[in-house]
Amino acid sequence: MGTIKISIKKRGIFFTFIAITIMTVFILVFTPQADISLKKDMQSVASRISSIDNYVDDLENNYFETILRATAYKTILSLIFYMNSTGSYIATLDSAFSEVMMTGKINGVPIDSITGKKIMNNNTLTDWSKRIIDAAEDTLNVNTTINVSGVSVFQTKPWNIDSSMSVNFTVKSNVAEWKKSAVITATISIEGLHDPYYLVNTNKAYTNQIKKSTVEFNQWNIAKLREHLRNGTYVHWENSDAPSFLMRFTNTISSSNCCGIESMVNPNKITPSDQRESYADYFFWQHKFANNCTQLYNITGLWDEFRYFKLDFDHVTRYNITAQDAVRSC
Amino acid sequence: MLIKKRGYFFILDAVLGLSVLVIGVFLITSSYVNVPQPAQVGLLSDDLLDFLSNNKIKDLNNPYAGIGGELWNQGIITDADNSLLQQIGEFYAANNFDTAEKFIQNVSKGIVPSQFRYEVWIDGTILHPQIPSAEHIKSRNSTELLLTSKKLTFGIINKTTSDLWGPYKAEVFVWER
Repeated sequence: MGTIKISIKKRGIFFTFIAITIMTVFILVFTPQADISLKKDMQSVASRISSIDNYVDDLENNYFETILRATAYKTILSLIFYMNSTGSYIATLDSAFSEVMMTGKINGVPIDSITGKKIMNNNTLTDWSKRIIDAAEDTLNVNTTINVSGVSVFQTKPWNIDSSMSVNFTVKSNVAEWKKSAVITATISIEGLHDPYYLVNTNKAYTNQIKKSTVEFNQWNIAKLREHLRNGTYVHWENSDAPSFLMRFTNTISSSNCCGIESMVNPNKITPSDQRESYADYFFWQHKFANNCTQLYNITGLWDEFRYFKLDFDHVTRYNITAQDAVRSC
Repeated sequence: MLIKKRGYFFILDAVLGLSVLVIGVFLITSSYVNVPQPAQVGLLSDDLLDFLSNNKIKDLNNPYAGIGGELWNQGIITDADNSLLQQIGEFYAANNFDTAEKFIQNVSKGIVPSQFRYEVWIDGTILHPQIPSAEHIKSRNSTELLLTSKKLTFGIINKTTSDLWGPYKAEVFVWER
């Protein structure tokens, strides 16, 4: 009996070990907390990163372009009103554009106080950058830093203005950090804007808004020219001597490779109406033909409505004016 | 005899042990069943916000809010390239809250399953439902799980003058009824 009891006791220990081992295995296999909390954490981190990544993407691809387009338009509009108020051209367009766009000031003075228009107030690039920084902090609890390192304006097409800005931005959150650099470009149409060249040269007496003529280059005739003059529309000719829209801000009256545009000065809107000039706008105020009347033609075909209207020979041929409608001035 | 009695004891012990294990496993596995719920509600709130921000007016085939629809013909919606969220933000910027509510109702029909309730907020103002019913408030207050998705939205309110609106915080809250 004594030997049997001893072996049973030993088996008891054996069973206890097996039970403990099985329990340990079960506990290890089925312990849910660690696994689920890890998944939960991963999900929440992934979700947060995804949200912030969408914000960064939106910032780079949509927000910057939207505010660049809006502020570029407002800056150009402000500069036109500035020229209208001061009656003078802008010395350096790029630096004036950059200063107005970033700070709302020109030569250190708020441009709105000069123009008397509330255009740049709370609408500078700096204002809009601050707004998105505040909104992102409130919405996504991220710290955004935006550094605009350069702004420029240029033209590659006659009827559009391109604006570009170089921007470095950082978005910091408790889970990750994004550092990016980008060059953002935005295009705005010049149609509807006032031509600053007219404003300065006539001391605000004659304003002309940019409106593209719909006439094809080989469809011109005296009737189309009459409509062109009546509506104050603009034309782009390949290889002409006309300046671009932006060149008109600085009185840079020379040939633009890509973007020269021209309109005709309406003799009924200037004093005196009869001047010894070609009435193509960029020649008219440059007095290119003032002492060269042999190359000027009275466009008599239009004198019933636009008396004293004259053009130089080059324009007479471009607009397809026939001899019966054009007579030498002298 | 003594040995036989101990055999019963071991069997009883094993049965008890097994039942403890079975109950344990049952409790553990039943606790797993509750796990997917937050993910589902979370996905719904994300999905609704993604739907609003990734689809444009021009993509919508809706007699009220789409191109050629009621709002389009009345000139209330003018930019087909606006996302639905931008359009809601534009209504908010123009203080057109009633239209915003109706717009959200129309475009989100069928997006959120009927067993869930949701709210759409812009810049801290509730646009849908503008005036929550008592039942809605009770459901919101008593729910065990209410999840939110947030996004920034902005846009141009007037293309001629290049006037911008925003950026606003857009929030969607979703919970089970």
